[in-house]
Amino acid sequence: MYKDTKFGFYLKSAKKLKMFLRTKKINLSPIKQIELLASKIPDAVSLAQGIPSFDTPAVVKKAAIKALNRGVVAKYSLTYGLPELRETIEQKLAEEGMYYDFEKEIIVVAGSIEAITASLITIISGKKNEIILFSPSYASYAEAVKVAGGKPVFVNLTEENGWQIDFKSLVGKINSKTAAILFCNPNNPTGTIFSRKDLLKIADLAEKKKFFIISDEIYKDFIYSDSNDFSGRLFSLAQIPELRKKVIRIFSLSKAYAMTGWRIGFLHSDEENVKEILKVHDSLVTCAPVISQYAAIAALDFADSEVKRFCREFQERRDLICRHLDDLSDFFSYQKPNSSYFVFLKLLPKRNSWQFALDLLEKARVAVVPGVAFGPSGESHIRISFGRSEKDINEAMRRIKEFFKHD
Amino acid sequence: MTDIFKRVVQFKLKWFAKIYLWRIKPYVIVVAGTVGRHWIKEAVKESLTEKNFSVRTNKKNFNAEIGLPLSILDLPSGEGSFSNWIKILWLAMRKVFSPKLKSKPFDEFLVLEMAIDRPANMNYLLSIVKPGTVVLTAVTMIYRENFEDLDEIALEYRRLIKALPRNGLAILNFDDERIMGLARRANCRIITFGLKEGADFTAKNIQKISDGQKFEIGGLRQSVKINRFGKHHLYAALVKEIIRNNFKEHQKEFFSKLRIL
Repeated sequence: MYKDTKFGFYLKSAKKLKMFLRTKKINLSPIKQIELLASKIPDAVSLAQGIPSFDTPAVVKKAAIKALNRGVVAKYSLTYGLPELRETIEQKLAEEGMYYDFEKEIIVVAGSIEAITASLITIISGKKNEIILFSPSYASYAEAVKVAGGKPVFVNLTEENGWQIDFKSLVGKINSKTAAILFCNPNNPTGTIFSRKDLLKIADLAEKKKFFIISDEIYKDFIYSDSNDFSGRLFSLAQIPELRKKVIRIFSLSKAYAMTGWRIGFLHSDEENVKEILKVHDSLVTCAPVISQYAAIAALDFADSEVKRFCREFQERRDLICRHLDDLSDFFSYQKPNSSYFVFLKLLPKRNSWQFALDLLEKARVAVVPGVAFGPSGESHIRISFGRSEKDINEAMRRIKEFFKHD
Repeated sequence: MTDIFKRVVQFKLKWFAKIYLWRIKPYVIVVAGTVGRHWIKEAVKESLTEKNFSVRTNKKNFNAEIGLPLSILDLPSGEGSFSNWIKILWLAMRKVFSPKLKSKPFDEFLVLEMAIDRPANMNYLLSIVKPGTVVLTAVTMIYRENFEDLDEIALEYRRLIKALPRNGLAILNFDDERIMGLARRANCRIITFGLKEGADFTAKNIQKISDGQKFEIGGLRQSVKINRFGKHHLYAALVKEIIRNNFKEHQKEFFSKLRIL
């Protein structure tokens, strides 16, 4: 630990030497900030971070142990990832109507945020440095853009229209500096599933204005059976062969297979893009954790029934949390999500979401994420996760109800 | 599963699989090699299905000591559950000793991936199944931790090639030197595929197009378009063509005779 005086000296020196110019513009994700604060409060219940309450499926853990005992995890893998894992990924993708070459078009990554950052660093160059992000969308996107030396440009989703894309606003934000659009489908924090029609409109714009599409599909496996605007599987632009050179699709095993701590996922795109992203991936991490790569093979091959079970349970938890929220209709309004495991609540009356989140943490010992973390239009909202256990959800909602009694 | 229980399960499954094969007598095509087995297996299946044969393949990665017999018996894995494995052994026994086994529509072809990860693995797998045709994809550095070098891996595939009967067929990747080195050991007919000049079935004038690949199959002067990307899909397309050309519909009867032999 530095003494205050010593720390102050370092800060002053850094300022003088104009150090940390890039990182000064970057903030620690508010989700992590809230988690840090919550960790200091004994018995706080966290509905903040999107961590599923489940443990990694047994079949996955066994595969990792087996690999460990075989002595095959101590060395780097190829930068692309283990060939046998990439072959499995290619097979999985083909089942979903996406055809990519495991040898040249798939990279195994250390979680989706590494894939996003590597893709952004690859894409952003010179004057083409603006990245379109939807607001609200995942809090770390904007910071990843800044890490890559780019500028996040927010396009508001329209709440009254089920958090769908406002194309008029989107078209207005696209210019010659636009390098890419980055979105999460289904969207975090709103759970919105973007329609095929809207995604094709984005593709059309990308083709005309020459920018990339980065599609983060981490929640694709959590789409609820009672969803009205969705039938069958999630549509992905990566399914359209003509868009291969435009689309970089990212998937992580963190949420679907309850493997957030394993840091494992993959990205795929046309060979032309992937060989460039590979250079950045190599300089960032060399390769994804090898033990996690062996675990991922087992997950993709044998854990689909577990994913379905998680999805069924999340749907039940969503219904549970919505029943609680209906009791709080004087304080929140919300749209029932069709996917992911978040509800994005509008605060009634309008109020500062950071302050509200801090109050709730301090007085009710419940951690939630302030809506402003997800972009400017997220202000006066909070995100709550129903990825936690039923017990946690019930306890958190009981405390929130108590909080409003005394508010 | 404890080691002892695992060995018991493995032993019993092996014998149930052998009895099943003895009773049903399907024609077995084995797809082996360290990479690219899946798409070749699918291509072989597609080619035979087009000819209206009934074909079954391994499920997922059921291709080693326990997975292979499960694939042959068409049973799921018991995973880590003792009671599940007991149930599976019971189902296997019922299946293979059922008097109705042969009265049901059965598999004319079994297309099986075989995976090895340590020396002598192949001997064990060959003690379960005798292939009529073998497709060898490539010998690469995967699984190298249990082998001295690539030649030691190739030795395993040599065992597979040597296990083929005289009227069998070895379909070999011409682009892989080690695999071609095995050709000398074969006592049966050999057909090669690859991208290099000299293969019996070769892909020429390969073009990557927006929705896949276009190429010509050398020798046949036939133009093919596939909606997949990567060299391994060219190989799969070539093997599909080899199967199409060598397993004619009227040979059904021929294979029945083979089964009697």
